[in-house]
Amino acid sequence: MRRHLLASIPPVYVAPFERAWRNRELIRAVVRREFISRFRGSALGPLWAVISPLFMLLTYTALFSLTVPQLSAGMSVTEYASSIFIGLIAFNLFSELAYRAPMLLHEHVNFVKKSIFPSETIAWTATIRAFTYAGVAFAVYIVFRLLTAGTLPLTIVLTPLLVAPFFLFILGVVWFLMALGAFTRDVAHIMASIVPVLMFATPIFYRLDQIAAMSGSVALWLRLNIVGDYIEMLRSVALDGTVPNVFGYLALVAISYAVFIGGYQFFMRYKSVIVDVI
Amino acid sequence: MSSEPSILCAGVGKAFQLYAHQNDQLKQILFGLWKKFYRDKWVLHDVNFTVEKGERVGIVGRNGAGKTTLLQILCGITQPTKGEFRVAGRIAPILALGSGFDGLLTGRENARIGAAILGLSRKEVDACIDDIAAFADIGPFFEQPMRTYSMGMIARVAFGICAYAKADVLIVDEALSVGDEIFQRKCERYIAEFARTGTILMVSHDLNFLASLCDRVLWLEGGVVREVGDPKKVIADYRRAMLAEEDHASGVA
Repeated sequence: MRRHLLASIPPVYVAPFERAWRNRELIRAVVRREFISRFRGSALGPLWAVISPLFMLLTYTALFSLTVPQLSAGMSVTEYASSIFIGLIAFNLFSELAYRAPMLLHEHVNFVKKSIFPSETIAWTATIRAFTYAGVAFAVYIVFRLLTAGTLPLTIVLTPLLVAPFFLFILGVVWFLMALGAFTRDVAHIMASIVPVLMFATPIFYRLDQIAAMSGSVALWLRLNIVGDYIEMLRSVALDGTVPNVFGYLALVAISYAVFIGGYQFFMRYKSVIVDVI
Repeated sequence: MSSEPSILCAGVGKAFQLYAHQNDQLKQILFGLWKKFYRDKWVLHDVNFTVEKGERVGIVGRNGAGKTTLLQILCGITQPTKGEFRVAGRIAPILALGSGFDGLLTGRENARIGAAILGLSRKEVDACIDDIAAFADIGPFFEQPMRTYSMGMIARVAFGICAYAKADVLIVDEALSVGDEIFQRKCERYIAEFARTGTILMVSHDLNFLASLCDRVLWLEGGVVREVGDPKKVIADYRRAMLAEEDHASGVA
């Protein structure tokens, strides 16, 4: 019965998962390779994955919370820092991959041209790696929150429900940028000029309801920023202890899935051409 | 037994899209439905040949004859523009020495990734990793970062992976010409060993090497098969053509 149900899903919606599952050994091996080669030769090794977010968290707590009290809107210093930190975890994840994705195929040109390497798995490994770092940063946040507030909201257990569609969304974006970046190096420059702008259009240092209180139409525009929507929902489950609007959530999941499938199809369509032009 | 050929190539042709300007590639994606922004450059025209199981076939040809492109097509790295091809079983390519290797990782770690690229499961890799180490026979270097390796050592690891990945077809591009005499002799032994269980297709400019190792030699010229058959005869013809060309060139000069 369950088999029957699975078989009734049009293959286009599950094709990316099937291919990834078939290449799971390769994905695991390459992810491992990325971690090993990143930490080999550094004295602290994997500890850096903890130290850098911790350093960031402390800096933002000290700096922003004390110098920009208007933005904190009645929140305590540590609460405001937590709010910024959650925003930054999600946004850094996005921006790191947005910067890197256009160059991914160029970085792996030997893999792509000189061995039988399924190039679409590069997006999986890059995204898995970025999410692992974000996961460590999130663990830092949890510890920080426990130490400063003494408690965590129960709704934090809903976090995986946000992470999963966010992962698919990012993966779709990476596939799209990876393919475009292979054709023209301009994409990397375009991203370098767009992402910093996007940072201010993302509710990292502020919250959407603060904007909504000032100007409803601007807030509506900012809602179009999917990364921002995810940040707002992450904050509500991991910091405020509220459950996000279910319809908003489902819409977000649908859009993310569409981006995921769209990015995959775009990449696979041009995959064979990319080998020749890179 | 030999009902199914190991490699079958029927009318394979490949045209690269040649762009006058790098950004025309992007234009082609965006507006390709309405206008063509490239010229076709045909590298392979009409390549026909078959290789039986267990055969060792060498490919000779001048630079730009399409040898590497042909191998890339057979490996499935790039798509042919026309024609059909089939390769039976698992392919192990050595297209550029050490191309899939990361200099920071040890030989063992790289071997694991290399085996995963060829499609081995974790269990299979666990089972054969020590065999690969034994085959490579580079002692403690196997646990050292690969950037410390010599070309010969890299080749041994690459060969070891292919030998134990239970590949059916080994495809080698030029990789063997890097080593010294001792290494080349070792390669001959590797290839002879591999040929007991699998098919080999290799490109080389070392004609003596091919003559001594191959069952057949294929001469690729201008994107078509000019001659295929007995190694001694094809190589002799190829040499004669090269010499004639050289004479002609010097005669003009």
